[in-house]
Amino acid sequence: MSKHKTLGFGLGLRSEYYQQILEQRPAVDWFEIISENYLVSGGKALYFLDAIGEQYPLVMHGVSLSIGGSHNLDMGYLRQLKQLADRIQPQWVSDHLCWSRGNAHQLHDLLPLPFTQESLLHVAARVRLVQDVLERPIVLENVSSYVQWKTSSMSESQFLSELSFLTGCELLLDVNNVYVSARNQDFDPWQFILELPHERIRQIHLAGHSDYGQYLIDTHDQPIADPVWALYSKTLSYLGPTSTLIERDDHFPPFEDLLSELEHARAIANGVISRATL
Amino acid sequence: MSLSALQTAFETYLTDGALPSNELLEQVRGCTALSALEGLRIYHNAYRSRLLAVLREDFPALQQWLGEESFEQLALAYFTAWPPRHFSIRWLGEKLPEFIGSYIAEPQLSPIRELAELEWTFTLAFDAQDVEALSLQAISEFSAEDWVSFRVSLTPSARWLRLQYNTLALWKAAKSGDLLPVATQPAGNRDCLVWRHNLVCQYRSLEPEEASALRFFVEGGSFAELCESLSAIHGEQAPLQAATWLKLWVNEGLLKLRATIHE
Repeated sequence: MSKHKTLGFGLGLRSEYYQQILEQRPAVDWFEIISENYLVSGGKALYFLDAIGEQYPLVMHGVSLSIGGSHNLDMGYLRQLKQLADRIQPQWVSDHLCWSRGNAHQLHDLLPLPFTQESLLHVAARVRLVQDVLERPIVLENVSSYVQWKTSSMSESQFLSELSFLTGCELLLDVNNVYVSARNQDFDPWQFILELPHERIRQIHLAGHSDYGQYLIDTHDQPIADPVWALYSKTLSYLGPTSTLIERDDHFPPFEDLLSELEHARAIANGVISRATL
Repeated sequence: MSLSALQTAFETYLTDGALPSNELLEQVRGCTALSALEGLRIYHNAYRSRLLAVLREDFPALQQWLGEESFEQLALAYFTAWPPRHFSIRWLGEKLPEFIGSYIAEPQLSPIRELAELEWTFTLAFDAQDVEALSLQAISEFSAEDWVSFRVSLTPSARWLRLQYNTLALWKAAKSGDLLPVATQPAGNRDCLVWRHNLVCQYRSLEPEEASALRFFVEGGSFAELCESLSAIHGEQAPLQAATWLKLWVNEGLLKLRATIHE
């Protein structure tokens, strides 16, 4: 079972829904922000962040840490991240197990790492530094991927497990990403989840993907697919109650549709927990 | 291949290459769903699509002017010349107006660059630093000494543009979804302000006399000096004109106090 107290069921905070959230106070237990959207000097984003943060717990989720990059960590970015964390007091701060910056450029993508001993030691050292600056454990998410590297000597889940052991970092299990990568790379998604240290899993992500028949792309612009819901249900029966968040980043539906998906997640969790206590 | 070498090869492919190098391809274990090349190509396409989507959002009027295809060609050339360096994709378009100078020839260059500058100015105003704007309430509580000592500056979100073309009309037409008018060059430059007030971006052009008065005032002139500078034209009505403008600028949220007011 996950050792962490659950925050319940949350949604990604997106500007399309700011006004509605403040006016209607929807039954969402918490919101997750994309940290970079709020690393600005002022204006609408920070105004709504402060206002919504007065009413809901917040979690910071970044996309630019590039924890696996071979470049130097961007200390200016980290300092801004810390300032934002000091301002909004998030429940936790997360990013991705990936690299997103090369030697010269920001690549603005969540790029896959080779899962080697070299990568493990490299990432572990950077995680320790990040945690020192942020003064809290970082929570790292498994990404969707479309290639795997021949040099990998372990699976992504084994890598995350080792990394967590070495650094004390926590894990964000994106169930959709597991499903997308498993379909693309022909591995067993359930085996992936079983290999994670479940006591280190702080949070679950759910999102939609686009199905191109032969392969899947993690687009966050669709409703959550049935096989992902099924994997989520099985995951909860293994983990117990775990903070769950639905991400939507494009083709934004009416807010009510996202609330319905959130209710569906609640119903699955309630069903799983009821069965477990019978 | 080391982690660093692998990332360099991947970065080169994403940013430069139409095809991945053999060295990079050899690092990928293809599988049934996706061959090595297909998998790499997903990242290659995603890199361009993501950047292009951001530029389209930040420069909608420019895109309407150029048309989708030409805008895309401009964007791809720009990404090669100015690949993103900031951790936030919000800054992607920062150098686009400057890049246009080396990409487009006259007579199109100047009006297109000016339109791009205007659009980028809106993005700067959108999330510039918050400050407490000078309010009519604060002015109403000024003592006689305050009226002598107070000085103002523009709020941090305000950007002052000198437009040579009918750029505001072009931008407004694009925003309304109308056909863009032909770019023309009215006699004399036009002062234009872009700023944010109550979370919403604002813009307006200024007549030369108001522009001159506002510039004098925000560059450190006192209210008395402003009245004096207006007296040549407005005579005894100069204080009334100065007060009218002051009230307008304050109502628009354009000013912030910069000198200490007596307690």
